[in-house]
Amino acid sequence: MRLLPILTAFTSLLSLSVAQKASNKYQTFVDLASSSKGAKGVVLLNDQLFGEITGPHRNFSSAILFTALDNRFGCVLCRDFQPEFDVLGNSWFKDHPNSDGLFFGVLDFSVGRQTFQRLGMSTAPILMLFPPSAPGSEHQPLKFDFNPSDVTPAESVARWITASSKHTVTIHRPFNYAKLFTFVGGIVGTATLSKLAYPYLAPALYSRNLWAAISLVAVLLFTSGHMFNHIRKVPYVVQGRGGGVSYIASGFSNQLGLETQIIAVVYAVLAFSAIALCLKMPRMESSGKQKIAVMAWNLVLLVLFSFLMSIFKMKNGAYPFFLPPLIA
Amino acid sequence: MSAVKSILFKDPASTESARSILRVVILLTIAAAAVASRLFSVIRFESIIHEFDPWFNFRASKYLVKHGFFDFWNWFDDRTWYPLGRVTGGTLYPGLMVTSGAIWHALRMIALPVDIRNICVLLAPGFSGLTAFATYLFTKEMKDSGAGLLAAAFMGIAPGYISRSVAGSYDNEAIAIFLLMFTFYLWIKAAKLGSAMWGGLCALFYFYMVSAWGGYVFITNLIPLHVFVLILMGRYSGRIYVAYSSWYALGTLASMQVPFVGFLPVRTSEHMAALGIFGLIQLVAFVDFLRGQVPSKQFNTLLRALVILITVVGFTGLVTLTVTGVIAPWSGRFYSLWDTGYAKIHIPIIASVSEHQPTAWPSFFFDLNMLIWLFPAGVYLSFRQLRDEHVFIIVYSVMASYFAGVMVRLMLTLTPIVCVAAAITVSSIFDTYLELDTPQEQEEDSESKKSKKEKPKEVGGFLSSKAPFIGIYSITSKVAVVGAFCVYLILFVLHCTWVTSNAYSSPSVVLASRMPDGSQHIIDDFREAYYWLRKNTPDDAKIMSWWDYGYQIGGMADRTTLVDNNTWNNTHIATVGKAMASREEVSYEILRKHEVDYVLVIFGGLLGYSGDDINKFLWMVRIAEGVWPNEVQERKFFTARGEYKIDHEATDTMKNSLMYKMSYYKFPSLFPPGQAQDRVRGARLPAEGPVLHTLDEAFTSENWIVRIYKVKDLDEFGRDHFSVSAFEGGKKKKGKKAGLAGRAPGKKGRRVLRI
Repeated sequence: MRLLPILTAFTSLLSLSVAQKASNKYQTFVDLASSSKGAKGVVLLNDQLFGEITGPHRNFSSAILFTALDNRFGCVLCRDFQPEFDVLGNSWFKDHPNSDGLFFGVLDFSVGRQTFQRLGMSTAPILMLFPPSAPGSEHQPLKFDFNPSDVTPAESVARWITASSKHTVTIHRPFNYAKLFTFVGGIVGTATLSKLAYPYLAPALYSRNLWAAISLVAVLLFTSGHMFNHIRKVPYVVQGRGGGVSYIASGFSNQLGLETQIIAVVYAVLAFSAIALCLKMPRMESSGKQKIAVMAWNLVLLVLFSFLMSIFKMKNGAYPFFLPPLIA
Repeated sequence: MSAVKSILFKDPASTESARSILRVVILLTIAAAAVASRLFSVIRFESIIHEFDPWFNFRASKYLVKHGFFDFWNWFDDRTWYPLGRVTGGTLYPGLMVTSGAIWHALRMIALPVDIRNICVLLAPGFSGLTAFATYLFTKEMKDSGAGLLAAAFMGIAPGYISRSVAGSYDNEAIAIFLLMFTFYLWIKAAKLGSAMWGGLCALFYFYMVSAWGGYVFITNLIPLHVFVLILMGRYSGRIYVAYSSWYALGTLASMQVPFVGFLPVRTSEHMAALGIFGLIQLVAFVDFLRGQVPSKQFNTLLRALVILITVVGFTGLVTLTVTGVIAPWSGRFYSLWDTGYAKIHIPIIASVSEHQPTAWPSFFFDLNMLIWLFPAGVYLSFRQLRDEHVFIIVYSVMASYFAGVMVRLMLTLTPIVCVAAAITVSSIFDTYLELDTPQEQEEDSESKKSKKEKPKEVGGFLSSKAPFIGIYSITSKVAVVGAFCVYLILFVLHCTWVTSNAYSSPSVVLASRMPDGSQHIIDDFREAYYWLRKNTPDDAKIMSWWDYGYQIGGMADRTTLVDNNTWNNTHIATVGKAMASREEVSYEILRKHEVDYVLVIFGGLLGYSGDDINKFLWMVRIAEGVWPNEVQERKFFTARGEYKIDHEATDTMKNSLMYKMSYYKFPSLFPPGQAQDRVRGARLPAEGPVLHTLDEAFTSENWIVRIYKVKDLDEFGRDHFSVSAFEGGKKKKGKKAGLAGRAPGKKGRRVLRI
């Protein structure tokens, strides 16, 4: 940071020595940046201003965003990126009220149509970094590659600018008070609510049934591959061949949302049949009813296990085993 | 009927000794079956170490028996991670090597000089017998010895455990699962008896576990969780206090003696739960003590407030310490278990490992078959009884199911509890249906055979079973149910055998395929290439390859590697990734700077071996991009339509990358012009193959799986290699026809393809 005053002095010296004109231009943009109608530190450009900011005899860099914010153009990426760019401009302005040789500018298509045509731009957003004009040869502007899956584009742009110019951009995101309030409010609210509801909730909280149900549902969910769905974001069903809906994904290490639910239900019924066989049956008083019930549960177990095996065989063609009556 | 019964089935008390002999025989049989079912690979191939990590463990074990324990402890390995080296003695879990070293010495002492390799190969099957025994003991504490025997049998052959313990799979898990189950058994015993001796034994085995496997953190968190749940349920007792305090104090001190663990138990978040519960249980014990002394109601309120205050202060203190960095936050590997998207964004090197992927349901069924649906029933049965040890089963089940769902690899920790719970279910069913006595209708309580079950706890609703236990009337019902379950059990055994034989018994160093006539054909490219390296390169040659093959090169070829499967230095791995993903000019710089002599790539295009480097290439790019986002960009390897292509549509970045060039160098010359076909990606390659300027092809294995290139020296005349090859290319223009006729001597010519 100690370099900055020197840098400032250097740039101002440079601007003095190059031309009075350049210095005037520089001051114009400093004023524009500080009194911007948009975010502070971001110059709203039009065709004429763009010509000036990228014109010859400039002793400053400028990062310019070509965008199309109007709803008519339906540029989602532009609208997503705009607040990030504002954060960039703001952060730079906070650290360097005099801009110190780097401007952030936005040229919207609605006011800069000619420029877009002149530069042959057909897509937006485009971010370009114009380095200072060196005496003799003109430096080519650099273009930033947008990465759509980037979570924090402002930081990436800052890194890019830092790497490709002499300026070091650090991002200061405004403190998110809304988040803090929601968080504190959430905690206070939950605490109050649980205090108020405690007399009613206590029986449930100490209910063995509830915990048993929760644990069993959790076990069934996890063992039927729910976490895979969650992490890989698999579709619920897919369009099968011949226009029908296919519930079962082909392939051993692949699955569909509905498929896992079917499996979870099958597991649950199988487990319940086993429980019924070992707990419920020996407690039946009538021997005739017991016999029928035992046979019924036994049959349910057999058919569902056979169904499970056949689905598994469907997924893994080389699997040699099966269980009657369902043979895939 | 009763006369026959009295002859056949004597009073249980009088047959106790016969039954205990029978139990021993059954357990021995189970252990034998467990060992035998893991020997497929030895019989089919040979006594060989498998996979990747075991090669390092094997190398370390050899070092241990050759140089002795103290040298092993201070081992600085300069033949890996060139030029950094690795402080191996201080960065490994020594339990496995020390175990096999001890066995080696013990066998020598009784005049049985067995080769260390054979001990290493057979260590995992041997320990699986012990695991079955530990599971028996554990389950016996939960229900009875019948369930214990069933659980032992399940554990012995469940593919979920076999997958990590076949002969040759000489990895930490080989002994760790035994230690896990035995530690848990000792813990249950300690908590039941409230005995400091059992607690101390538990700590001792916990120490062994810590020295053997990083998965010890599972124990470190599960036991405190069990205690915490018990406290919340109002089941605090002096027994729990004694057991937990003795285990925690001794176990933590002992675990800190392992150099790799060191001060982690007091410095990282993974261990904070155990520490926090230790504090909490002291507090609870104190309050419990005071309450006994001062029975005033106001005082009780004051105490409760005090406890809450101290807990809050303690928790805030922990959070503050974590935020300020005194306590290290969750390490990435563990953190990614909770925040499942974390690894993919922040630590591609963890996300890139295939065993860290989430588990699809067929894997559960594949590894556990019918146990997977008996498992919830067992959890339910535990809820019905809900003694302190059953709480442990429940906590273990829920946590382990979650972890197994997030990471395929953690199926290993789920398998024991699934076996236990399933055994409890099956044994309950058999208890009911194998009872010879037939109850008389309308005659309640005529036989009091199960006094325990006759008075079920009065719990309403879901877990209800208010009616008294009567029994099964009809013989037909009994036969039907028992018969059906016998069929399922037989099916389970068949399934386990089939899975073990087909899926988990391949050494992956040696591949097997079938010839058209059905006979087996062994593909031994890896060992061929590693042996070539061992015989044809200088002893100090540096080999660069992707990190997957580092341990194998070190173990089989005995050459220095740049990176290996111990992924301790991400930047160094990214350097290798960058060298593979960059243009030759850039890569050559990197190769020269790291004094690399040979580069090794795995290429499966000829044979259809899908685990090759081109398929892993994107991970190399990603890991390199994480460190050099400006120089390596993943998107440049995708076509405009976002596809990963290697044919003529491949991007220029892809075609110019060193990996692509090395993989497909001269590959089209195997085929008629324009017919070159990559069998893994199913793509036709451009007729013009890539040209290499800075590397020379040194060796290509029989089926082209391993390709080794020699890095060219600097040119004698100080030219760069591109102008050299341009110059030579120009000169050779006249004799071009002669040059095309055959490949350079010493390399293998065109081969007959056989797939």
